[in-house]
Amino acid sequence: MNLFKTAGIGTTALSLLTYMAFATPVVCAELRTNLPADPATIDPIVASELIAGDVIRNIYESFTAIDSHGNVIPSLAESWEALDGGRGFRIHLRKGVKFHSGRVFTAKDVKFSLEQLLLPTSKAGLNSPHASAIVGADEVKSGATTELKGVKIVDDYTVEIALKSVNPLFPLYPIYMMDSGVIAEAGANWATKISAGTGPFKFGGWSRGQQVQLEAHKDYWRGAPKIDGVRFMIVPDSNTAMSMYETGGLDLLRVPADLVRRVIGDAAMKGQLVTSPEARVRYLAMNAELYKPFEDKRVREAFCISLDQAEMIEGLYYGAALPFYGAVPPGIGGYNSNLKPINVDPKRARALLAEAGYAGGAGMPPLNFSNLEPNKTESLYITSKIKEALGVNVGVEILERGTMLKSMNSRQLPYYYWGWSLDYPDGLNFLEALWYGPSPYNRGWKNAEYDARIAEAKAIADNDARYKVYNQAEKILLDEWGMCPLPLQLQVVLVKPGVKGVKLTSSRLEPFWDVSIKP
Amino acid sequence: MLRYILRRLWSLLLVWAVTVTVTFFAMRMVPGDPITVMLSDQSGNVDLAERLRAQYGLDRPLLYQLFDYLAGIASGTFGLSYRFVGYSVINVIAGGLAITPILALVSFLVALPIGVVLGVSAAVRAGGWLDAVITIALVASISIPSFALAAVLVWVFSIKLELLPVAGWGSVEQAILPIIVLVVAPTAVIARLARTYMLEVLDCDYVRTARAKGVRESLVIYRHAMRNTLVPLLTSVGIIFGALLSGAFIVETVFNIPGLGRIAVESILARDYPVTMTIVLLFTAFYTLINFAVDLLYGIVDPRVRLTGDAS
Repeated sequence: MNLFKTAGIGTTALSLLTYMAFATPVVCAELRTNLPADPATIDPIVASELIAGDVIRNIYESFTAIDSHGNVIPSLAESWEALDGGRGFRIHLRKGVKFHSGRVFTAKDVKFSLEQLLLPTSKAGLNSPHASAIVGADEVKSGATTELKGVKIVDDYTVEIALKSVNPLFPLYPIYMMDSGVIAEAGANWATKISAGTGPFKFGGWSRGQQVQLEAHKDYWRGAPKIDGVRFMIVPDSNTAMSMYETGGLDLLRVPADLVRRVIGDAAMKGQLVTSPEARVRYLAMNAELYKPFEDKRVREAFCISLDQAEMIEGLYYGAALPFYGAVPPGIGGYNSNLKPINVDPKRARALLAEAGYAGGAGMPPLNFSNLEPNKTESLYITSKIKEALGVNVGVEILERGTMLKSMNSRQLPYYYWGWSLDYPDGLNFLEALWYGPSPYNRGWKNAEYDARIAEAKAIADNDARYKVYNQAEKILLDEWGMCPLPLQLQVVLVKPGVKGVKLTSSRLEPFWDVSIKP
Repeated sequence: MLRYILRRLWSLLLVWAVTVTVTFFAMRMVPGDPITVMLSDQSGNVDLAERLRAQYGLDRPLLYQLFDYLAGIASGTFGLSYRFVGYSVINVIAGGLAITPILALVSFLVALPIGVVLGVSAAVRAGGWLDAVITIALVASISIPSFALAAVLVWVFSIKLELLPVAGWGSVEQAILPIIVLVVAPTAVIARLARTYMLEVLDCDYVRTARAKGVRESLVIYRHAMRNTLVPLLTSVGIIFGALLSGAFIVETVFNIPGLGRIAVESILARDYPVTMTIVLLFTAFYTLINFAVDLLYGIVDPRVRLTGDAS
């Protein structure tokens, strides 16, 4: 059969070709871990999403960092003092820090990085709002000038930054510092070729859909990493990722949510399992602007006390979650460890609904609960509990991610499940972004007293005094049932024996500087 | 003949132009845009989102954006990706372009002979036990979803027997399981078609004549009858190949192969308009070109349907 022969030759030739094209040399002391998708970029200016963040944190650093206990520690800034009553900072930079290029990190790089975040040509992403707090930011943004007036270089290791308003949190912002010589060296499209950071690893290569490779930065200021590099394998399918880990293709597995049950129940995995609560809150938003019954606090309370977190943790998250009754998660400045649990009380819920004039759900306009496909089970649980406790029929509306974001942003969803991951490690981030009236992300609950507390807290430099006001604001939000808090899900990773130093914190995995691998 | 080819090519160009335009507007009608997806939680920040929209050129009138994309096609780069900042569309899909069509082609070349032999064998012994076994096997293989088959194969060959890698792309071993999974369905389709056509052909007068002349049965089957089953089978080639291309997505996801199918789905979710449009255009081009080639092949396989420019 000629066709057989042709097919045989074709397959062999193809295999040989692909083998030659993709064969890569083996490096031993390399940490192999998974990412669920390609990072969109490894440019610290453009970066906007969490996956890019996981890679970039190993390459770039900011003034401060978070340690494994969630504390803010100095990083590229050694120390700082407030100027002008808090409307600015004098920042003393760490000496002896070298970029991946070998150039020394100085004040001019700070100014350069901040300007890059604002230039109209730079397509700057999530960190650009942080730089917008600086005096002169608007002039750079509009293209009137390229010089950021509010940043003054005092000497190589001292920089003074003037802010538009009192902002004690500025040094905490994750503004990545980059090498000001990089554009001269590699052109405008530098980020596709090299990295320009001070972090423990530098960019080593990216085969899209397959892997991102990082190499050790031998001159790293805290000492050279103990491994030669990191290989982020891009594995969208969770079962494939699990199989790769099981057969030794990965040293560190970030366990995808749909596999948590299997991993947690597997006795063979016990010694390799690491978990930590994530600084990502999840909540049920009840938009009073769109759904009239939600204007009534009693209705909001009735909806919240019908749900049982213990049941959700057991049945939906297989134990990989913690009960949570607040707005600021643990491990974040301003977390209140004395929050009272919400009592599940269907009887009271029914009574409250009746008091509000909707006994047994009578007279309530139709309502849909919106969510994404991966959280469908949560949606069904929540709506069935509401039906069971209150007799109210709530439909489930599953939306595609882009569609859901669009509808949520344009405030078209009355009742939905969503989350928030931290931008900077302070409770204000959670309290301000979601529930503060003037915030662009406000979820449809507004309260003047709450807004006043947040406005007040924003100007308090002393941490303890500020946290106290956060707690007061959080109490208003909870007492008013501005939202229903949901359990905090645990991040779950598996680490192969022999791999030491992997640190899972509330803000995802720490950079792999301290990781070592015993062959 | 030449005039026929030119006329067909001209109509192909028209099909492609319509494809690009329809995809362009269809993509824009889907809610959300690249910036919304990129900023995710923070996409509610109207200030930031609008600024980025302007920087990416998404705030300009739609027709301008369409012309821009057409200019990108003319330049050969197909424009810039929205999702991967700084990379051209051609750079984003280059890797997949060297994978998916080849995967589909190799699978097809493996499936075709197996399918024909199975189909013919079943037809020759129609009603016998071999026919029954083959038919049951074919129905089973069409019915098994490829993701399930893939999972079973991975569990047996990679996890239990440790013979083949779980996933990835780059070595011969890594290509074996994906190709097996891809081969199963088209083999079954081809075999069923071959069986049906063969049964029809075996009823024809010329087969009876050949047998009456005392020609050996194997020669009757393979020389006289089988050649004639190839003609109707060719008609289905385009459809089978198209199904292979689009079916590649599941195999690419399960085996973690960075092919076009995966890039296509990811680019749709990320609203990466230029990448999506280019992949749709490429798939259309593959599909239409294969059908075109099939039409031309008819004439070679079957002299009765030789094409001429003025035949019609």
